Amino acid sequence: MTSPAEHRLLLDGESVSFREGETLFELARRHGDAVPSLCFDDRLEPLGACRLCVVEVEGQARPVASCTTQAADGMVVRTMTEALERHRKALCDLVVSENPAGATIDPLRGSASQELAALAVRYEADGGRFAGARSGASRTDDPNPMILRDYDHCISCYRCVRVCSEQQGDDAITVGGRGFATRITTEFEGPLADSACTFCGQCVQTCPTGALADRRALRHADAPGELAATRSVCPYCGVGCSLDILTKGERIVGVQPAFDGPANEGALCVKGQFAWEWVQHPDRLATPLVREDGELVEASWDEALDRAADGFREAARAHGREAVYAVASGRAPHESAYTIQKLVRTCFQSNHVDNCSRA
Amino acid sequence: MGPSDSDLIDRWRGAPAPLLGLLHAFHDRDGHLSDEALRAVAEGLRVPLADLYGTVSFYHHFSRKSGGRDAPRVCDGPVCKQRGSDVLLAELEGATPMPCAGRCDEPIPVLRGGQVLVGTPGEGLRAAPTPLPPPNPAEGEECCFAHVREEGRSTLAGYGGAYRALARARELGPEALLEELDASGLAGRGGAGFPTARKWRAVREAPGGPKTVVCNADEGEPGCFKDRVLMDHDPHAVLEGMAVAAAATGATRGFVYLRYEYPHTQTVLERAIDEARDELDDFEVCVRRGAGAYICGEETSLLNSLEGAHPFPRNRPPFPVTHGFEQTPTVVNNVETLASVPPIVERGADWYAGLGLGEQRGTKIISLSGDVRRPGNYEVPLGFPLHQLLFDWAGGPEDGRELQAVTMAGLSGGFLGPDDFAATLDEPCLRSRGSFLGAGGVMVFDDRRDMVDVARQAMAFFADESCGKCFPCRIGTQRLTERLAGTAGPTAPDAWRKEVHAIGETMAQVSACGLGIAAPLITESLLRLFPERVDEALARR
Ligand SMILES: Cc1cc2nc3c(=O)[nH]c(=O)nc-3n(C[C@H](O)[C@H](O)[C@H](O)COP(=O)(O)O)c2cc1C
Ligand code: SF4
Ligand code: SF4
Ligand code: SF4
Repeated sequence: MTSPAEHRLLLDGESVSFREGETLFELARRHGDAVPSLCFDDRLEPLGACRLCVVEVEGQARPVASCTTQAADGMVVRTMTEALERHRKALCDLVVSENPAGATIDPLRGSASQELAALAVRYEADGGRFAGARSGASRTDDPNPMILRDYDHCISCYRCVRVCSEQQGDDAITVGGRGFATRITTEFEGPLADSACTFCGQCVQTCPTGALADRRALRHADAPGELAATRSVCPYCGVGCSLDILTKGERIVGVQPAFDGPANEGALCVKGQFAWEWVQHPDRLATPLVREDGELVEASWDEALDRAADGFREAARAHGREAVYAVASGRAPHESAYTIQKLVRTCFQSNHVDNCSRA
Repeated sequence: MGPSDSDLIDRWRGAPAPLLGLLHAFHDRDGHLSDEALRAVAEGLRVPLADLYGTVSFYHHFSRKSGGRDAPRVCDGPVCKQRGSDVLLAELEGATPMPCAGRCDEPIPVLRGGQVLVGTPGEGLRAAPTPLPPPNPAEGEECCFAHVREEGRSTLAGYGGAYRALARARELGPEALLEELDASGLAGRGGAGFPTARKWRAVREAPGGPKTVVCNADEGEPGCFKDRVLMDHDPHAVLEGMAVAAAATGATRGFVYLRYEYPHTQTVLERAIDEARDELDDFEVCVRRGAGAYICGEETSLLNSLEGAHPFPRNRPPFPVTHGFEQTPTVVNNVETLASVPPIVERGADWYAGLGLGEQRGTKIISLSGDVRRPGNYEVPLGFPLHQLLFDWAGGPEDGRELQAVTMAGLSGGFLGPDDFAATLDEPCLRSRGSFLGAGGVMVFDDRRDMVDVARQAMAFFADESCGKCFPCRIGTQRLTERLAGTAGPTAPDAWRKEVHAIGETMAQVSACGLGIAAPLITESLLRLFPERVDEALARR
């Protein structure tokens, strides 16, 4: 077999090679990453909606959207001409004019929430140029505790609708109406809880404006401290989705999916995405408790561990080592899960160990 | 009692392109689309309910309110506006406006339920047949209209009893047929002017199938009403054109995508299809009615609409010739393009090409309306002088009036002024003047008309009809409308012009489809032709 001929084209004056099927946007991103976009998400079919990624291709009457144009042999492509940058600035001014608050958005809203804000800075768009009617209306009437539907900020990029359909397969939300009046909605305009939504949060994490936002995380918007992210793996089930735990100081303030997570590529489910607040919940036990005459009373760790060891020892003596069976909680850290299986296997010499979220 | 939900679903579930048909069946039965109807349709066709809801909300004419289907809709297109559509709207209880309904040579059309009536303020409504084109003023030779005025032409018997061009096409075989068509110079009459033979050849050579022929009868461009005349008075010419396209490309199924505002035409077409079963042989043709959306005339949006998907235009490439209806190779042609085919096949390429003037080949129907004495559809030789059409053929303005502007390509070509009346009606000439012929709608405005306001109405139309897919058009049409109306934007003339040019330039350059690309021709031509009118309007703000 002969190796496939190398494909080449001229990108901003430089001869570059490309893979079969690669789009001009992907190619440009590999070479400098300066072509902007607002409707692009690697995981989704390109839509060609925002037109920010337009490039000039010699022989074409007008600039083309690079996200929907496949690279072809011998193309002559320019990505940064004065005219292109002028159109990009005009597009940016237009889109900020329908959403002037987009420039200041709390990063806790979602992973992609700063995309519009960053472009507004790059193109010095403040909403003054091309001012006019605003689009979108926030759904303050949707009481669900997880997803804020703050459509005042919506720029109709349809990433949310596409991720819900293409990635999540839930088809819970849709594009209603048309033109400047398009809106993101469920069937019959109802709340998310009455729709097919599974609260996976995918729409939140792909929204480039923060119009869809993580309500739980936003409760910590005013908490003191620098926002930091720690890479981890979701403990809830065996898929092993990578995620970033967001913290301010000692406090967990949110979870965002890892887009480079090999198992999930940015996906999470409702548990991984939204079920983290119990970590710092006031109802959690802060000291060990032991039972005295049927009543739970506070005890030292030494005392509690001794009591537990006695109980297990007695059970194993009376009924055999196989009588002990451990189920680790999906809410416990990985280290605890590891330790419990070590305990069961070495101390009780049995395989009777499982995890609540293994299914 | 009408049919039950499951009757309707069973009727449509296995049919080609079922969604629009099924939605119309519920809409007609109930007078609106209820929540229950949408649930039943979603379940019956196994489509996500939210998706269906969004798609239904895209169309003007699907009503979600009880009785909504039968509430009157009054055309408020540019020409009907001149004739007092605002007054008629106020006269009719529960009436709402609808964009140009394609009857600009008649009194104001009012769509009520499954019927279109026409009326004038103070005179009530009446049913009226589609007017025939006026006799050709030059007694010149015509292609599409050659027989349209003949009594009974809409029946197969009146059509000559058989599809003779189709028989000849089959005799010639695809290769010779395509060569003939190519030599005739026939190009698309729906707007883009793409050479028809090249389109058909691409479909013929494309792998995969079954191949499809779609007749684009959406005729949504304001000021265009030519396709309806052809379909109402010469439906067999259109069907035969489709069948010849099928013979040339190997297509086995066909659709006529008909705009909602032409309910009577559906009856005419379906009767003609029934009559022509034997002629059509195993080429299956169905009529599918749109539901009120100008963008569904754009061919890829039309295909999405047929398929029941959200009617955003598709990204191209791939083009419909390889990835059209259900991703199979598809011919999409305008009604007039298809109706031109049988005479070309029967009388030959040289005959058709010879009908044009100078370098131009063939003819074009112009829908002429507005401030002229004799509005109507005129089939002109390509290359025909605009001045001659306006003044000799259509009689010019009323006494004491002067023409100040005409639109081109319906609204999409913007305005031409008196200095442009020397132009000839063909793409090279009109493009050199910054406009284009497109589908051939020409609306005429005399010196009574406020051109800034006409431009505002035009831009408001584009804003209402923008599908909302791409930023430059979705936001740009809105911003330009606001600037023309004076509800936002600068009032200082220089600043105003700068903004309007900047928005328009970006729309024209980077919009995703023809709507957003063409819309700024309105503002650009307004500024070119009527700079003082714009200054006066700004001074009043
Ligand atoms: C916004 C828009 C609306 C259009 N509306 C129509 C229409 O109503 N009828 C039509 O035939 N073509 C319409 N077209 C052109 C079609 O996309 C397509 O070019 C045409 O149907 C091809 O047929 P033809 O080659 O026979 O002209 C429209 C195009 C655009 C961009
Ligand atoms: S949370 Fe998930 S299921 Fe719900 S709308 Fe968003 S993407 Fe769809
Ligand atoms: S809510 Fe966000 S992701 Fe969805 S369309 Fe609006 S801006 Fe885009
Ligand atoms: S140009 Fe307008 S109508 Fe066309 S795709 Fe863009 S938004 Fe839709």
